[in-house]
Amino acid sequence: MYRAAVAMCGDRDDADDLTQATFLKAFERFESFEKGTNCKAWLLSILRNKWIDLMRHRNTVGQILQIDENIVAGQEQNDEIKYSNCEDLLANFSDEQIIKALRSLPAEQRFPLFLVDVEQLSHEDVAEIMDMPIGTVKSRTSRARAILRTKLFSHAKEMGFTGGER
Amino acid sequence: MNHLTEEQFEDIMQGLLPEPEHLTDCDLCRELLAEKKAIANRMRSAFDSVKPDKRLANNIRMQLTDKAVSEQPQSARRLSNIRFKRMAWPAAAAAVLVMAVILGVYVISPSSAMAARAELVKIHNHNLSTDHEHEFYSEADPVKLAEYFKSKLGFSPSMPITDQGMALRGCCVRHFRGQVVGSYVVDTPQGIMSVIVVTDKPETLGMGGKFECQGRVFWKSSFAKCDMVTVRLGDYSYCAVGEISHEYLTELLSRLMPDTHQ
Ligand SMILES: [Zn+2]
Repeated sequence: MYRAAVAMCGDRDDADDLTQATFLKAFERFESFEKGTNCKAWLLSILRNKWIDLMRHRNTVGQILQIDENIVAGQEQNDEIKYSNCEDLLANFSDEQIIKALRSLPAEQRFPLFLVDVEQLSHEDVAEIMDMPIGTVKSRTSRARAILRTKLFSHAKEMGFTGGER
Repeated sequence: MNHLTEEQFEDIMQGLLPEPEHLTDCDLCRELLAEKKAIANRMRSAFDSVKPDKRLANNIRMQLTDKAVSEQPQSARRLSNIRFKRMAWPAAAAAVLVMAVILGVYVISPSSAMAARAELVKIHNHNLSTDHEHEFYSEADPVKLAEYFKSKLGFSPSMPITDQGMALRGCCVRHFRGQVVGSYVVDTPQGIMSVIVVTDKPETLGMGGKFECQGRVFWKSSFAKCDMVTVRLGDYSYCAVGEISHEYLTELLSRLMPDTHQ
């Protein structure tokens, strides 16, 4: 839960607050939890709603939730950098840099990507948490990963990281 | 040649689709898949290093325990000024249990017997809390602590002789089951312990195991991450609470003299 909060929030203090708020909300709403269903997914959907509340409180949610899918597609195409050994290249980044790059994605993309790639949840669970169709989860995840790739690769180029550049 | 679609890539990543033959023939799609997998793996490993502060788990535990305590039936709490909140007690207890499992910090039995133990652990947690919302008298001198207790409670409870790496940290007056009770905190080589002195008999505190040690009767129990041991001395029950083994808590309580109430 804390990892998800870190993925969503800009700093650790906010992540602490979000984790705390999520557990307290879950406690209050415990009666709405259906036995036998995925508890982690249930908590993550509370976390997402709490995060939206938090952002709404700061009047920034509108900006964050609006994603221009064309911008996303554009960024994807702009990047021509290729590395033959992606794994080696990614090993150059610190954990903090990787998380920071993920955080720089629009929230409605980074959260599905986080849930799919880091938490390894099924598309169905993520669809439920994000309250969106499964197809959208797949396309958002795929695009989010592509933007992340672009960001990381161009940063790698700036930093002179190597990973079998060709 | 038709390359794999985004959707196919996602399904392959999730293991929903076996890797199609196309991948053996197409360098582009094979590299793309390897890249996606590498990014996913790197993200996963990056988040491995993300661990919450111990203080966060402690804060959440305190807040949930607070809620659990305030949401039990009044009959168990004997406090007239606590409103019975929306959630029924068994549901609240179950919720704490679930949170506990997720947080990985609780070992709770969801029964009403945990009410008193929850309150004792709450007092201990408040004693450890560094925020100054809760009045805590920091003092290592047992004479000064005794004076403090006497002024607040009208008597001064028995305190252990502190040697062998043990030191008194201070004391506090708290509410337990609607009554004012005293508690003091001892730093021990095994961790921090609160001793809470209540008038309730050990049998009514939801303490499970009764046992004898050095000719004295003790009761032991656990709640959240804490172990607790209780001994009856005169008109008072001394409850030692902490993330410390029952054996050590028992040893510490054994040092209390039954006739030292002043
Ligand atoms: Zn292909």
